[in-house]
Amino acid sequence: MTLRIGIVGAGFMGSTHAAGWMQTPAKIIGIHALHPPKPRQLADTVRAEAYDSLDKLIADCDVLDICTPTHTHHDLVLKAAAAGKHIICEKPLARHVDQAQAMLKACQTARVKLLVAHVVRFFPEYALAKTAVDRGDIGKVAVVRLTRCSYQPKLAHDNWYLDFEKSGGMMLDLMIHDFDYARWVAGDVESVFAKNVAFQKKDAPGDYALVMLRHKNGAISNIEGGWAYPPPMFRTGFEIAGDAGLIEHPADSSVPLGVYLRQTGSGDAAEVGLPMSPLSESPYTTQLRHFYEVLTNNAVPARVLPEDGLASLQIALAAIESAQTGKRVALAGGI
Amino acid sequence: MRLGLMSFAHLHAESYIAALLAMPDVELIGVVDDNQQRGEHFANLFKVRLFEDYTALLREKPDGVIITSENARHLPLVEMAAAAGVAILCEKPLATTREDAQKIVEICQQAHVPLMTAFPMRFSSPAIEVKKLLASGKAGAIWGCNSTNQGALPIFHQQENLAFLNRNWFTDKHLAGGGAVVDHVVHLADLLRWFLGCEVTEVFAETNTILHAGQVEVETGGLVMLTFENGTFASIDCSWSKPAYYPTWGGLKMELVSENGLITMDAYKQIVTIYSHKTQRPQWGYWGSDANYGLLRDFISAIREKRPPAITGQDGYKAVEIVMAAYESAQTGQPVKL
Repeated sequence: MTLRIGIVGAGFMGSTHAAGWMQTPAKIIGIHALHPPKPRQLADTVRAEAYDSLDKLIADCDVLDICTPTHTHHDLVLKAAAAGKHIICEKPLARHVDQAQAMLKACQTARVKLLVAHVVRFFPEYALAKTAVDRGDIGKVAVVRLTRCSYQPKLAHDNWYLDFEKSGGMMLDLMIHDFDYARWVAGDVESVFAKNVAFQKKDAPGDYALVMLRHKNGAISNIEGGWAYPPPMFRTGFEIAGDAGLIEHPADSSVPLGVYLRQTGSGDAAEVGLPMSPLSESPYTTQLRHFYEVLTNNAVPARVLPEDGLASLQIALAAIESAQTGKRVALAGGI
Repeated sequence: MRLGLMSFAHLHAESYIAALLAMPDVELIGVVDDNQQRGEHFANLFKVRLFEDYTALLREKPDGVIITSENARHLPLVEMAAAAGVAILCEKPLATTREDAQKIVEICQQAHVPLMTAFPMRFSSPAIEVKKLLASGKAGAIWGCNSTNQGALPIFHQQENLAFLNRNWFTDKHLAGGGAVVDHVVHLADLLRWFLGCEVTEVFAETNTILHAGQVEVETGGLVMLTFENGTFASIDCSWSKPAYYPTWGGLKMELVSENGLITMDAYKQIVTIYSHKTQRPQWGYWGSDANYGLLRDFISAIREKRPPAITGQDGYKAVEIVMAAYESAQTGQPVKL
């Protein structure tokens, strides 16, 4: 039986997921989004229907794929779970911890799968480093360094990224990738200390933050995040030092192409910055192919558990609290 | 210009001597070491006079001395040199406690002898470019800085026939003042003070002992967050996290993020990669300019021109203060105000 996918949201992430699903045996049955004509355009591209009614889309699908702004995740997950549908939810899982907890509980009760799209776990360089760590190549992890910086998202309409109440700002929206990855490679986190720009300078054209994590096993992490670079720059990098070795992946280190041509077009940057590294398959597609396997074969464990989505949210919110209070924030018992 | 060198405990001693011997206007009148065998070894190597003790060197009235003893043993040598009225270039960190650092500064002030702290990174050509760029105002307000000064575990000459050099004190809590934090935070802390032109107001630190556990007792992993008067925050990774087989000793990098974008500096990026059957691993040959040269030239000019050196004892004291606050924060788990 073909797995029927309903996508909510037709922005950048909705389109990316739609393109990914096209590479799986699943069928996108419909797209629901608030602002026309985007849902119609996207539906036409992927030969699906544009749904005006969210309820009807939920009723018609097997899996609801939620690609909407962060603050809307909670209500959408609860609706889908109540209808007994499996769920894919973009990161961050929710805007607030109590919301995420309610979402986990609802999915558990309804016995539906909740797959959180922490796509960095599917980027081949990050997945490779994780495999090397798990294989014991560098021994016990001691110091982790993660970097992810881009420019401030510049959506033409309804730039919810810049609304702290909706997105949680750069520290929640962008840095959650690396909070999740740090926890994935170095284990549960017991305290967070953070500094950022946005809380100090309200009119700053972007944000920049440095966050230090202490993991339960004694490892420490330095995490850099920013909406601070000139467009279209986006850099990511990592370094993992262990007691038996070192993994390095500095920003700019594996750029396989150099294109130095005299500018012919306008050279405008995309609305939202993305890391660029040509691959035969987009990591977003890799992620959705994995989710497809998880959804159609109960023997396949999910690479990202709902608890991972909750934990990275808790770390991000602790980082925000630390940046606001100036204190190190403890996560009781480790998260 | 007649200079002397006191102690070969620190391996920078050789770099300084090599640079001084190449200067036609400098006479290296001699060296002293409290380790007799080590002193003879280097005196022979560089063909310089070995004095029997520090007093004998100072009796010769050099214009200045370079102190490259263990961190905890700077103070007594500074006392002797200052009493002899000799200008001092002291290896970093100035001392292993705030009190000793303060004493070193005061003694030199009272004796009216110039005191320079050896922060050669201020004379690194890439660092000078960054300083100029920041001074031009093009970067605008600096928001933050992500920086690293990592290295291999400073345990030297274990396999070689040079155990007598006795240079494993870098991992001795008493002689070094700690581990990775005291070893590697000071360079970046000083560069940032210089770049930003203001003081540190708060220090936070996380440290651990996972790397080289069992080999040394001091901290080997460290992340330090500095906050400056102007609001700029900077993280410093001072870990001894480079394996012994890394292509070089370590490195010093900074990424400065400002309201206008990004400035990156990799102070030791000017390298060629050498693959040799002899070593069976890639090695980075550094061909950039020698920062020690600039440091020594400023020390010499300061003596000649009877002006304070570009980097003062107070700069050395400030760096020690930051390091000690980092240790306090690592203990208490909360940021420490300065």
